Amino acid sequence: MARDYDHLFKLLIIGDSGVGKSSLLLRFSDNTFTGNYITTIGVDFKIKTVSIDGQKIKLQIWDTAGQERFRTITSTYYRGTHGVIVVYDVTNGESFANVKRWLHEIEQNCDVVNRVLVGNKNDSPEIKVVLTEDAQRFADTMNIQLFETSAKDNLNVEEMFMAVTKLVVRSKLEMKERQSVTQNDTVNLRKTNKSGKKRCC
Amino acid sequence: MTAYHQDVLNIVQAKFLSPEVVKCIHLNVSLVDAPWNTFYRLFALVECNKSFGLFVLISEKWRPESITDVSIERAIPIDQYFSCDTEVIPESQKYLFFIINYKEFEYKFLIQIGLESSNFASQVIYSKENSDSNKLLDLSWCDKYSNNLYLSHSNSYNNMNDQSQVNIRPNSSRGQSTNNNRESLLKYQLKLKEPDYTKREEFTIFCGTWNVNGKAPTEKLHEWLRCESKPPDIYAVGFQEIDLSKEAFLFNDTPREIEWYNLVNSTINHDKKLYHNVALIRLVGIQLIVFVKNEHYGCIKNVSVDTVGTGILGKMGNKGGVAVRFMLHNTMLCFVCSHLAAHVEEYERRNQDFKDIISRVNFKRHPLTVKEHDQIFWLGDLNYRINNMSTQEVKRLVNNNDFNALLKNDQLNEQRERGSAFVGFQEGEITFQPTYKFDVNSNIYDTSEKARPPAWTDRILWKGRYIHLVKYTSHMKLSMSDHKPVSAYFVSEISVIDEAKYKEIHEDLLRTMDKQENEYLPQVTIDKTEIAFDLVKFEEPQIQELIIANTGVVPAEFEFIKKLDDDSYCKDWLKILPYYGSINPGEKCDVKLEVTLKTNLSKLYDILVLHLKGGKDMFIILNGNVQKSCFFSPISMLCRIPFPIMKLNEEQWKQAESLELPIRYCIPREIFLLVDHLYRHGLKTKDLFESSSLSELVSIRDWLDFGSQDPMPGSVQAAAESLLLFLTHTQDPVIPYDQHDACIASARNYQNCKQIIIQKLPDLHRNVFLYICLFLQELLKHANENGFDAKTLALIFGDALLRDKILNSKPQASRGKSDFIYNFLVNDLSSAIIPTK
Repeated sequence: MARDYDHLFKLLIIGDSGVGKSSLLLRFSDNTFTGNYITTIGVDFKIKTVSIDGQKIKLQIWDTAGQERFRTITSTYYRGTHGVIVVYDVTNGESFANVKRWLHEIEQNCDVVNRVLVGNKNDSPEIKVVLTEDAQRFADTMNIQLFETSAKDNLNVEEMFMAVTKLVVRSKLEMKERQSVTQNDTVNLRKTNKSGKKRCC
Repeated sequence: MTAYHQDVLNIVQAKFLSPEVVKCIHLNVSLVDAPWNTFYRLFALVECNKSFGLFVLISEKWRPESITDVSIERAIPIDQYFSCDTEVIPESQKYLFFIINYKEFEYKFLIQIGLESSNFASQVIYSKENSDSNKLLDLSWCDKYSNNLYLSHSNSYNNMNDQSQVNIRPNSSRGQSTNNNRESLLKYQLKLKEPDYTKREEFTIFCGTWNVNGKAPTEKLHEWLRCESKPPDIYAVGFQEIDLSKEAFLFNDTPREIEWYNLVNSTINHDKKLYHNVALIRLVGIQLIVFVKNEHYGCIKNVSVDTVGTGILGKMGNKGGVAVRFMLHNTMLCFVCSHLAAHVEEYERRNQDFKDIISRVNFKRHPLTVKEHDQIFWLGDLNYRINNMSTQEVKRLVNNNDFNALLKNDQLNEQRERGSAFVGFQEGEITFQPTYKFDVNSNIYDTSEKARPPAWTDRILWKGRYIHLVKYTSHMKLSMSDHKPVSAYFVSEISVIDEAKYKEIHEDLLRTMDKQENEYLPQVTIDKTEIAFDLVKFEEPQIQELIIANTGVVPAEFEFIKKLDDDSYCKDWLKILPYYGSINPGEKCDVKLEVTLKTNLSKLYDILVLHLKGGKDMFIILNGNVQKSCFFSPISMLCRIPFPIMKLNEEQWKQAESLELPIRYCIPREIFLLVDHLYRHGLKTKDLFESSSLSELVSIRDWLDFGSQDPMPGSVQAAAESLLLFLTHTQDPVIPYDQHDACIASARNYQNCKQIIIQKLPDLHRNVFLYICLFLQELLKHANENGFDAKTLALIFGDALLRDKILNSKPQASRGKSDFIYNFLVNDLSSAIIPTK
């Protein structure tokens, strides 16, 4: 079939309100930044095609409302997500403290857990309160890759999105390999599996 | 297997060619989630040379009866990209999902559980294992079934799959068509920019052709293939008549194939392995071998081959052509080796053979024709002769090296000039003597009885830009055949991609196209994201407006959608009009949000989800305070409040709600006030229970809720309607829901009815019930003036006193309810009245 990409992946950006989720997406997709803060009330997405190892990856990146009152609604958008970007604001300790809750949301709502942790607004050292070492230590314990970015100064944004895309590509390849290894020699169609789904070949 | 099953299997088998055997079929499968699901589908598992394909066929009829009823919709090769699943459908004992994955596609079918399905699935799995254990299976036979009439359906399959992959909502506008458009647009743009990222590099190409007259390879080929001092980058070596045996003709199988291949290979890879084989293709005796220098092998891709027979019956392989195509860097090359019809007078057959070959070659794996290639090299025994000359004359001219006179009468030159064959092809100047027909092992032209006149039967032509012929010659030293080999040495300019520049341009294009795609997503703005209703009061609908403006460049289809586990896109107290619609760019849509209280709520709060088809979702927060009212309140609470409920402070309200206050009245004060008012002013009123104006109802509501020194406002009709409204909106109905069925069942027996009232109703509810009934009996005493009869009043109050959970949910029950109430309007109630404990 003729199409302009090899893979199509859905990425999701989550994190507290005001940490710069929309700005990160705008920087990555349009390479623009606006200082005007407009809180996202809903979920929106943008398309971005990237190349990784010669493969064209089409990304559909969803930006979500971070406000507490939308949390249960936004959790329904986690379904079918291949990779999640958890964002906090390096100048806001509370947003970092809440990262645990966001990670928990992922566990509750996602099957695939390709995640990266992003400390945004890393452009004004004088007001930075979440130290890199602390964030890194936390990231290590959670076994998650940390990026400190600035959507405003365009620092590390591209690298971060590419890293999560690579994670997603890698896990897809691994899944394919597992699939081709796992094989059953008989098939029992009446096998009632709780999950409802059973690989049979 | 049933006879019917066998019949269908035979019908399906007729759809396939002879080596392709239908192993088993599965009837009545249906594609899940397909809006175009108007066909009956069936599966067929087909084997060909130990490789398998799974076919989806569609049938016009539920039970196909003839070959015309079925057509192949999808061919899915069972190779390493194939897998299948079954998925149990919860609570279904009869059906399950059969899911087929091929590469990135997923097809989901519903099949009936049974012997047929388990047989079929086992066979599919067996064939999958078979393919896994033998990775070299040739499944190209499946390809020819992939192009079919129902391409639009197969596109939809893919579309469906895309959705499942990324969980795009159904009806997403980002369908396959967009992707196809993007792909072709990208290709077009890249083609336009080709000069920016390519440069031309020279490659040398050696083309050789030799009709070997069925002889086994006994001669060395050095004189022919290694005559150039500079080894070419590409070899395309063609043979004709490598085997004239019946076996070769009938079974297309000959040991000579590998013998000639080995000889060519050992000739060009003599000292060291310089060349890598790209393709070997043979049709009976026509064979073409392509080699490329090792260093270029990595720059070759999309190799594909095909053969076309034009011999006996126009399709047998004794005559015809074989072709090889591939991409070398960014240039599409095609080599054709052909053996056209023989005999002097048959030049028109030769023209036709040429046309047949060039039109019928179809590189299935890369669906291209010969003509679509950038550079085409055509070699072979084309069999064109020399017109109107005797053998003696030809030999004399040859001996005199007077080729011009001969070439003027050369049929190929003549046909090309006429435009009858090889249009657009070029040929080098012929400076060698005719290559046919020699006595074997000699350089002497045919001395047999037939004494055929010599001719240039063996030729090499080309078509395309940037091809430069260096040398075109025959090789007289090779004499085992009655033909002499011919060779042409070319310098060809090949388009080579500058990877860095290509990447840059490609990414630039992708960026532009992403930008466009994002711009073409539907975009709207809403004038507010929070809607606050004023104090919402009982029976007073309130409307707020939301303006949706299309600020994008495409029409926006919007819809309010359900969130989480909600049953509807909004709560029961809200109406959204319209809740879906389409807005053109630059236009707006006013959406009305109307609140009507239906149950007792302390506050209004909800989040609406406004979804754009193929785009974003927006959240809208609704807020509103509700004014407390005696309507909606529980009877048991109202009996504890001896004054208008708005006079309660927060603390008292809480106590009343939790029934901590003592019971002050045996019926709610409001019921007493309404009934007393009606008793005093309305007993003789005709049409007492006619509906009245909203403003009157509102003023009576406020009079009850806030209290006043003034007499009750409004007409007696308004008071009567307020009484009915009150009874139909008390938080719990006067007769509890769980007693309704018993009431209706005992409607024919007053004693039974009375027992329910006495035993099953809470005291306060019983008081209200009897109080209302006594009032209605009073009304009936004045039937002469007010015109009521017991049946009418029973009907009106049946629906109020035995209120349904959801208003008017069971209109058919009204009759039974009214029969029940009727008992209490025409009998003496004194025995039902028991003093409150």
